[in-house]
Amino acid sequence: MRALRAAAWAAGIAAWALAAWLLLPSVVPDGLDLPAVDVDGVFGRQVVDDAEDFERLFLVLWPLSQAALLGTLWLYARRGARYARESAGGPIATGMLLAMLGLAFAWLSQLPFDLVSFWWLRRHDLYRLGYFEWAFGSYFALGATFLTACLAVLIVMGFAGRLGDRWWLPAAAVIAGIAAISTFASPYLVTDAKPFDPRLRETAERYEESQGVDGIRFEVERVSDQTPLANAYAVGVGPSRRVVLWDTLLDGRFSTGAVDVVLAHEIGHHSSYHLWKGTAWFALFALPGAYVLMRVTRRRGGLARPEAVPLALLAFAVLSLALAPFGTWLSRRMEAEADWKALQTTHDPRGARQLFTGFARTSLGDPDPPAWSQWLLGTHPTLADRVAMARAWAARQQRTP
Amino acid sequence: MEPLPIRLTVADDLSRNRLTVAFRLLLALPHLVWLLLWGLAAGVASVVLWLAILFEGRAPRILHGFVAGYVRYSTHVYAYLFLAADPFPGFAGSSAYPVDVEIDPPARQGRWGAFFRLVLALPALVVASALGGGPGADSSSAWSTGGVVAVVAFLGWFASLARARMPAGLRDLGTYAIGYGAQATGYLLLLTDRYPDSRPVHVSPAPLLPHHAVRLTLRDELRRDRVVIAFRLLLALPHFAWLSLWSLAAVLAAVAGWVVTLVRGTLPRPLHRFLAAYVRYAAHVTAFASLAGGPFPGFVGRQGSYPVDIEVDGAERQGRWGVLGRLVLGVPSLLVSTALAGALFAVALLGWFASLWRGRMPHGLRDLGATIVRYHAQTHAYLLLVTPRYPYACPVVEGAAPSTEPAALGPAAA
Repeated sequence: MRALRAAAWAAGIAAWALAAWLLLPSVVPDGLDLPAVDVDGVFGRQVVDDAEDFERLFLVLWPLSQAALLGTLWLYARRGARYARESAGGPIATGMLLAMLGLAFAWLSQLPFDLVSFWWLRRHDLYRLGYFEWAFGSYFALGATFLTACLAVLIVMGFAGRLGDRWWLPAAAVIAGIAAISTFASPYLVTDAKPFDPRLRETAERYEESQGVDGIRFEVERVSDQTPLANAYAVGVGPSRRVVLWDTLLDGRFSTGAVDVVLAHEIGHHSSYHLWKGTAWFALFALPGAYVLMRVTRRRGGLARPEAVPLALLAFAVLSLALAPFGTWLSRRMEAEADWKALQTTHDPRGARQLFTGFARTSLGDPDPPAWSQWLLGTHPTLADRVAMARAWAARQQRTP
Repeated sequence: MEPLPIRLTVADDLSRNRLTVAFRLLLALPHLVWLLLWGLAAGVASVVLWLAILFEGRAPRILHGFVAGYVRYSTHVYAYLFLAADPFPGFAGSSAYPVDVEIDPPARQGRWGAFFRLVLALPALVVASALGGGPGADSSSAWSTGGVVAVVAFLGWFASLARARMPAGLRDLGTYAIGYGAQATGYLLLLTDRYPDSRPVHVSPAPLLPHHAVRLTLRDELRRDRVVIAFRLLLALPHFAWLSLWSLAAVLAAVAGWVVTLVRGTLPRPLHRFLAAYVRYAAHVTAFASLAGGPFPGFVGRQGSYPVDIEVDGAERQGRWGVLGRLVLGVPSLLVSTALAGALFAVALLGWFASLWRGRMPHGLRDLGATIVRYHAQTHAYLLLVTPRYPYACPVVEGAAPSTEPAALGPAAA
């Protein structure tokens, strides 16, 4: 029996590793040598200084906020179970209440840091919302988190009540399924958007054809009343695929070539199946993550008991923090692939360089942040690396007859 | 229970003269003009009262009597206007009237409380405004904002014209609103420093509560956890989501039940169980969201699982005509329900601040909230065919004393 179990575990781990290996390939050439970039020369000394000054506060705030979060959840894991008396419902309802209260405490622990960040953004004219709007939005965003937590508790505790310690396997599968559904459905939440103008539309169609995809919906989202930050994103899978550009990208601060690079980059996410891959990675990590939660919460009688929920929240936060470097590495890998596809599509390294220097200028993004922060928090390659990739691409083009 | 310094007394026998009911609004016009003038004078007098209390700690008897006369008179006028009483009131505010207030003579008052009276009175005025009864919420706003008492008068007008009698539940709700308004005005105008109490038991004689198939069971201890209070609205979100889904299923079940009940005369037991659980669950969620209830409710609407609970009798035979026209018959109770939702919002808003501050829900607000939850539950139960009993609006928390008027099977019982 023990041998059978060991074999099952081995097979499971092998299948996991195989799936991970299948998800890893990228069109970025292996061993691509990124040339050194003179950051001051490319971005300008003043821009680099301003960006560093701007980012410095976040580099201080982040460890503090994480310490506050973990400290709060640790306290809650020790004492939170007493809030079970505030529930008149059964174990699952009580578990939901405990999960929501834990998140409420976590939110409160982050509030001072969020407030300082918001103040900092406003001070640098990167946010146009008032404090009241911000607080209101933050409070109601917490509501969405509550609903998500309740759904997770329902699934986990529902399975734990019936399957005991084996809940993690079906629960991880169901949660991954829900993640896939939400990836599909999330584009329908973008409401304040309008279609592309004819030029962009024509460019987008050309790029779609070039990257071998079609049927993507293209939209411009109005955010200029809230922030001057420039951004774009790809969302959805299958028939819900969308590429959304913020209207701040089209306000004249970025050249046509730079905007086209953004467009090709976002289409690149779709043509590289990054949304699918992201969901698949989530599913892959949901399995061991759920297993760890099961092991950790055993000491509180397992997740069939609401008293274990506060501990599960702490374990989840620790796990998320521990996996953050891998998550950001994966994200950087996908972003680099989309950048490469954008270069392959537009053949415009100059436009790419204008885009990335523009990001540093308009969004105060540090072109060359400290290695530890990039390792932990960097979801995109650094702006310097992205400029270097554009140069590397151009160099390869010159070498290719 | 210690008597309030401003007490409502009701000696109304529910009978109404159809002719005066038909022209009630016009007949009340001279009173409204006189009330406005007296109100202006009372306002000036209350400024002098304020100064007197600040210096002396007690109101001069003459001024107190003048303002008290205004509060009594306004109670008479509103009772007449909103059909809570029938006889044409006198203009002096001194003669006895079927819906009246007794006001204690001047007593010592705290100077700080008097100094900040305008601010302190705000919560009571918010409740009075939501109830729309009495001088605390002037009659124009009661009509325009659709306060509870305005809806009572609107429905009572039709019922009184048809039956020459005001439905007891509606009358009791109206007098309650008017009585609370009188308390709020008395407090604002410095007749007393006792804060208005929204418990409906402070009416003499206490209103009676006939037996109903959908009843309130109140076991709440008023204690509230501050963290749960602070995030109450967000904590209720999963319940709102689940309630929306359940509501869809309940409507479908009610449609099916409607067809079957039309044929068989009784709602099938499984459907009755399902819909009764829905009614209970909706009541639990409403109580939680409005702070009438403390703990986080369960998701299945199990009887006895929540401190603000709804007890539902088993399925009973229903008249087919009543079933056929259930939606139309339910409109008056829906109107009352909607008006009460405004008052429930006031309960939730004020209760939120009070509970966050004291860790305890004010008794009066909790009771008012609980009775509104019960009325909502009775309305749901009636519309969903769980019971043929019409919702009963009297805002008494508990008690099953026999009513002078049995719970009827139609809107007249509202």
